[in-house]
Amino acid sequence: MPEFEKLHQAVLDGDQKAARSLTEAMLAEGVAPLDMITKAMVPAMDEVGRRFECEEYFVPELLLSARAMKASMELLRPLLTASGAQPAGRVVIGTVKGDLHDIGKNLVASMLEGGGFEVVDLGADVAPEKFIEAVKQSGAQIVALSALLTVTMPSMRTTIDALNQAGIRNQVKVMVGGAPVTSQFATEIGADGYSENASAAVQLARKLMAGSQA
Amino acid sequence: MTGRERILAALDGKPAGSLPLMPITMMFAGDFAGVRYFDYATRAEVLAEAQLRTAERFGFDYVSAISDPARETADLGGAVEWFDNQPPAIIESRALLHDKSTLGRLSLPSPEAPGRMKDRVEAIRILKREAGNDLLVEGWIEGPCALGADLRGLNSLMLDFTDDEDFVRALVDFAIETEIGFARAQVEAGADLIGIGDAAASLIGPRLYREFILPGEQRLTSAIRAMGARSRLHICGNTRRIIGDMARAGAGMIDLDYFTPLAEARAACGPAQPLAGNIDPVRTLRDGTPETVTEALEHCWEESGPLYIVAAGCEIARGTPYENVEAMARFARDHAAA
Repeated sequence: MPEFEKLHQAVLDGDQKAARSLTEAMLAEGVAPLDMITKAMVPAMDEVGRRFECEEYFVPELLLSARAMKASMELLRPLLTASGAQPAGRVVIGTVKGDLHDIGKNLVASMLEGGGFEVVDLGADVAPEKFIEAVKQSGAQIVALSALLTVTMPSMRTTIDALNQAGIRNQVKVMVGGAPVTSQFATEIGADGYSENASAAVQLARKLMAGSQA
Repeated sequence: MTGRERILAALDGKPAGSLPLMPITMMFAGDFAGVRYFDYATRAEVLAEAQLRTAERFGFDYVSAISDPARETADLGGAVEWFDNQPPAIIESRALLHDKSTLGRLSLPSPEAPGRMKDRVEAIRILKREAGNDLLVEGWIEGPCALGADLRGLNSLMLDFTDDEDFVRALVDFAIETEIGFARAQVEAGADLIGIGDAAASLIGPRLYREFILPGEQRLTSAIRAMGARSRLHICGNTRRIIGDMARAGAGMIDLDYFTPLAEARAACGPAQPLAGNIDPVRTLRDGTPETVTEALEHCWEESGPLYIVAAGCEIARGTPYENVEAMARFARDHAAA
């Protein structure tokens, strides 16, 4: 099996040891880091997303694949940065203020990273000012907001309002998601996009980066 | 026929008059009673009063001591974040079993000792005293996957299923022993039925559910039955791929979230399984109208057929218009249980 396919398979299988050792071996052979991402990592995580959407994979499998992908990316990211290669986009992500439920956000963050995005993960229960600070520091093009509870959904609006007040709303696209969130709600609060699951979030982020309103 | 009699008859497959009405209320009940949710979750008498008033106002057939998932974890020493007017949340970054070896040193919590579990037992006692002849009194416990996630951290548990099967089995055993003790205390205080909330189980898929969680749920329902009480299995989220296995959990009723069409659930569970649910609590019940609520319930009832219990897919959300909840009640009263 060619090495790209082996790496692809290791990510699909959620085998972090194999993913890391294959990455090391390929780097030693002089394979370009960007090729490893575009030919193995991104297609593998796209396939993970596909399997998740059609319920062949569930959260444990997705997290295992994400962990394998990250084991490889830890080796590749410094090399990419040094070479000046640009990510597909830069995303600041977090669960909104008052919401400590972060597994959905973690799935989205992993899928975005696997999709070639640079992800600034602010964690759970994130205050609006922290989103603002992170956008200013990272130069992110996208802010991704997550909420699991109906009671914390208003914090999404608060965060978008805060981005407006800070004068940086026009610099970023805002995408929202979480179990009780609807596309109607996303529109009402002035978000640029809503996605129903982690896999669709990657497609949405790509659309937002391409400048089309999703 | 009282609400209690109606539900018990339905669970036994006997004539129940109209359809039983058992929607979950927590923040909705707290708001209706005009109390802060912090008080609702920490003071038995506040929860009981809110439940009684809500059930009376909307014609529910039952009252419940459900409030949040953090009672057992708090009593075991887990870190919990409190909010003024929303449910407390378990702080995963400081999970009690962040270090797995802690499990071996953990003692079973006592529902009789001062703490959050005892507060729920006290709520059951009040509910039974105030309304136990008329309304069914429901206790609540965490299922094995849910309590495992509460103690270990949800993200970590998802990886443990592959990384450390022995730990997961030991964790499930601990969860079952904890919850059997908690259920027993609630039944002794007067609970007719014990709800088992096992939300995390909807995330893991059929293979892991079957291997690790279903046997634990079966032990729980069996123990509850031996106590002389009924059980309600509620797994939030998408359970379409595990409903066939949930059917074997031995639950007196299976309460489904809105993702799983009741026709699929009925096909998987057979004609003798009482099913509850499952209109979308946000898009239909909170954001809809009495007409769309009625239409959605009509659809649920048709898909379920006999042994149908009227409920939303999950908790009635805060801010749900009263007229939409009234539409649920009207639907239940206007339809005869087959």
